[in-house]
Amino acid sequence: MERCLTELEARPENRELLAEIFRSVHTIKGTTGFLGFSRLESLAHAGENLLGLLRDGKLLANVDIISGLLALLDILREILGSIESKGQEGNGDDAAMIQRLHALQHDSSSSSADNSQPVPPIKKKRTRKSKTSTPAAIVSVPDAEIVKPQEKNKAIEVYQAEPQTAQMRAGVNMAESTLRVDVDLLNRMMNLVGELVLTRNQILQMVSTDANLTVLSRRLDMVTADLREAVMKARMQPVSHVFSKFPRMMRDLAQQLNKRVRLVMEGQETELDKSLLEAIKDPLTHSVRNAIDHGIEVPYLREAAGKGPEGILRLRAYQEGSHVVIEVSDDGGGMKVERIRDKALERKLITRERAAQLSDRELMQLIFLPGFSTAEAVTNVSGRGVGMDVVRTNVEKIGGKVEIDSRPGKGTTLRLRIPLTLAIVPALIVHSRGQSYALPQGALSELVHLSSEQVQTQIEWMEGVPLYRLRGKLLPLVFLGSLLKQQDQADKSPEAYIAVLNAEGRRYGLVVDSLADPEEIVVKPLSSVLKRIGLFSGATVLGNGEMALILDPGAIATQSNIGMALEDDESEVLDADLKDGSAEYLLTQSASEHVAVPLDNVLRIERIPRTQMEWLNGMPVLRFDGTLLPLKDRTGMVAAGSPEEEMTVVVCRDGERHVGVAVSQVLDVGAGKPLTEAGTDTATLDAILLKDRVTSIIDLRHIPALPSARPAHDDPRETLQSDAAVEVLA
Amino acid sequence: MTPALFLQTAAQDEPIEMCSVRVGRTLYGIPVTSILEILGKPVKQPVPLAPGYIGGLVHYRGEVLTTVSLRSLLAMPAHDATEDILVFEGADGYFGLLVDEVGEVMTVLPTDFEGNPSTLDDRRKALFAGTYKLSNALLVMLDPERLDPVRLTDTAFA
Repeated sequence: MERCLTELEARPENRELLAEIFRSVHTIKGTTGFLGFSRLESLAHAGENLLGLLRDGKLLANVDIISGLLALLDILREILGSIESKGQEGNGDDAAMIQRLHALQHDSSSSSADNSQPVPPIKKKRTRKSKTSTPAAIVSVPDAEIVKPQEKNKAIEVYQAEPQTAQMRAGVNMAESTLRVDVDLLNRMMNLVGELVLTRNQILQMVSTDANLTVLSRRLDMVTADLREAVMKARMQPVSHVFSKFPRMMRDLAQQLNKRVRLVMEGQETELDKSLLEAIKDPLTHSVRNAIDHGIEVPYLREAAGKGPEGILRLRAYQEGSHVVIEVSDDGGGMKVERIRDKALERKLITRERAAQLSDRELMQLIFLPGFSTAEAVTNVSGRGVGMDVVRTNVEKIGGKVEIDSRPGKGTTLRLRIPLTLAIVPALIVHSRGQSYALPQGALSELVHLSSEQVQTQIEWMEGVPLYRLRGKLLPLVFLGSLLKQQDQADKSPEAYIAVLNAEGRRYGLVVDSLADPEEIVVKPLSSVLKRIGLFSGATVLGNGEMALILDPGAIATQSNIGMALEDDESEVLDADLKDGSAEYLLTQSASEHVAVPLDNVLRIERIPRTQMEWLNGMPVLRFDGTLLPLKDRTGMVAAGSPEEEMTVVVCRDGERHVGVAVSQVLDVGAGKPLTEAGTDTATLDAILLKDRVTSIIDLRHIPALPSARPAHDDPRETLQSDAAVEVLA
Repeated sequence: MTPALFLQTAAQDEPIEMCSVRVGRTLYGIPVTSILEILGKPVKQPVPLAPGYIGGLVHYRGEVLTTVSLRSLLAMPAHDATEDILVFEGADGYFGLLVDEVGEVMTVLPTDFEGNPSTLDDRRKALFAGTYKLSNALLVMLDPERLDPVRLTDTAFA
């Protein structure tokens, strides 16, 4: 009904919508009268009277009437809620509401009297004429907005995709082929399917010897997979369930803030697991509030900036691989980086020195810090500083990610990346003191292996705090064993692995004894007593039947006092680049020589049998999915060596084209320092200091372009050519 | 100290079926009606940092079952051999009780019931409902409600 009302505001003459609203109110009235809820009945009656006039065309819906009806809806909902929880209507004075509805009706009778006949909805022009001739009636006429846009504080139109409405209507007829199912039952089914998956895994491990059983178990495997998919599908709901409440919310908010906002919603049919849908409701509401409050400017500011007075808020949902992306974008003022910095300093969230080092992108990430708000004053809309960090925490809790993108003057886009399902997550199984724990892959960014010797030498201690130098930066470490206060075992493995985690913007390394395979785990909730420990987000049963607790990377960070790391890997490089010209390189060995490739240019590393290499005009090349890759072979190792051997090729990007560098092996990644020639300030271009060793850099531009036969229309060759031209110029 | 359950049955004066379990040398009784299931010697997963009375996690019908160790509640040394588990429904879903061994089902008469002796220490007074006098031994009554991990946490039992 709410949806109908807000839609009605956009299209006041839509009779079908009116009829639908009328029907709902009428039903409420009828039912409540029958059940003896007098408050509801009298309210619904007043509403019905007003709606009756609207439906019969005696009155045209306008902003005031819609506001009145929405207010009525709120009261009705409140009473219904109280009936549901307490079994009675509760006390309240409805006289004012009924009075208001009566007044609206009265307005109508006067205006319809002026028009002397029911206004035919299509003949809008005539209506407007008659209105301008009777100024008293203007207030109750929707077109008044168009006549004097500045005077109207609020105006929200909802453009909901037409097919959506049609679909919903079609849904009524579909009722026979659908069935309502209790959510508990679905949850139970999901649980049982998870159970079946585990049992299947165990069976598969056991039957590998018997041929007959193998066939059967493979069938079991398939059926289980299909069943799991079907049950998961049953739990899916379209995001429109959450989106549908936004038109109303926006309308009220914009009205309150004297802004004009238009809501555009796309991809409402995108489906998401029900529990996830519940979980993103709050973060999404926060984001929409933020966009309206901080993003979209008031009409006169917008006009001053050369934009239309009406701001556009776009809600878009779409599926991308195994994730659903929900975008909240506005065309408002964008985020002002300076203001974010000033606020962060004012609230002492970062130090002045730190702030000076941060790039714009990093400064934007500051809004995710707890306690951050740029709002000038605390209003009931926002400004209490519990906004974006809550959004991020909630989204990351369900294994999602939040990205923000903003351009000054153009607007801001907030992207929530949500996994399709919660129940089954990919996780890495780690061991600590002989026990298995599951570490969700979502938070894991890389793994570092330390041999028993390296454990002694490479983990550094600062006043009892363990640290590890990861590519020149100090990474705080948390030892899982000591965090869980586990007893040291006698046969404790001397080796260790560092799982570099990125949880809610905090970066740290979790030190574990050993790793097992990654596994798709079925998350089982813990009882409240164990939830209180705070480090585990659930438990699971592994393929081998063993149980494992699921670690919560965010909670571990909190308990270990890991602070917010503001930069991610990418900007780390950028930062370094800006400061002293040092950048990160991939260190490789080519024959006996160390050579480096700028890490930014590396696309992937491949191992290829030598036989796959071919020659073109005396130049080594590789074929990749029908494209040709020029190969750099410094030491002629391609030609040497037996053809059966494999070689390592680092595939790099050089401008638009891709080139390959043949190396003996890949050694490490490290930050390189530029070297200057003695006595001069000129930095050498083809050598750097990497790991305290002079290392030559492979200049990718010096890899000759492919002999271009003819300028064909396909792009790769053209770009190759232009690259070659650049090389000549250089 | 006598819970409603026993008052009722006592008033009816009908024989009650008790499942007997053994922990150490003592025989304990639990009304069979409150027991959902008995799991024989499953594999437990210990939970680090959990309160001491938590015996670990057990896989139970697609759920993760939190278990309470009667031994640690009674401040007894840990049992070496695998233990049996009784499953109950508590305030916060199912929970399990770890005991050394589940014995036979006995029938007792409400007339044989007596409350806790005043000389019992407070820890045990809080856990036991009383005792039934058998012909050759005492059957100490356990009330599953008092063993619920949620309740144990509230009473800061550790």
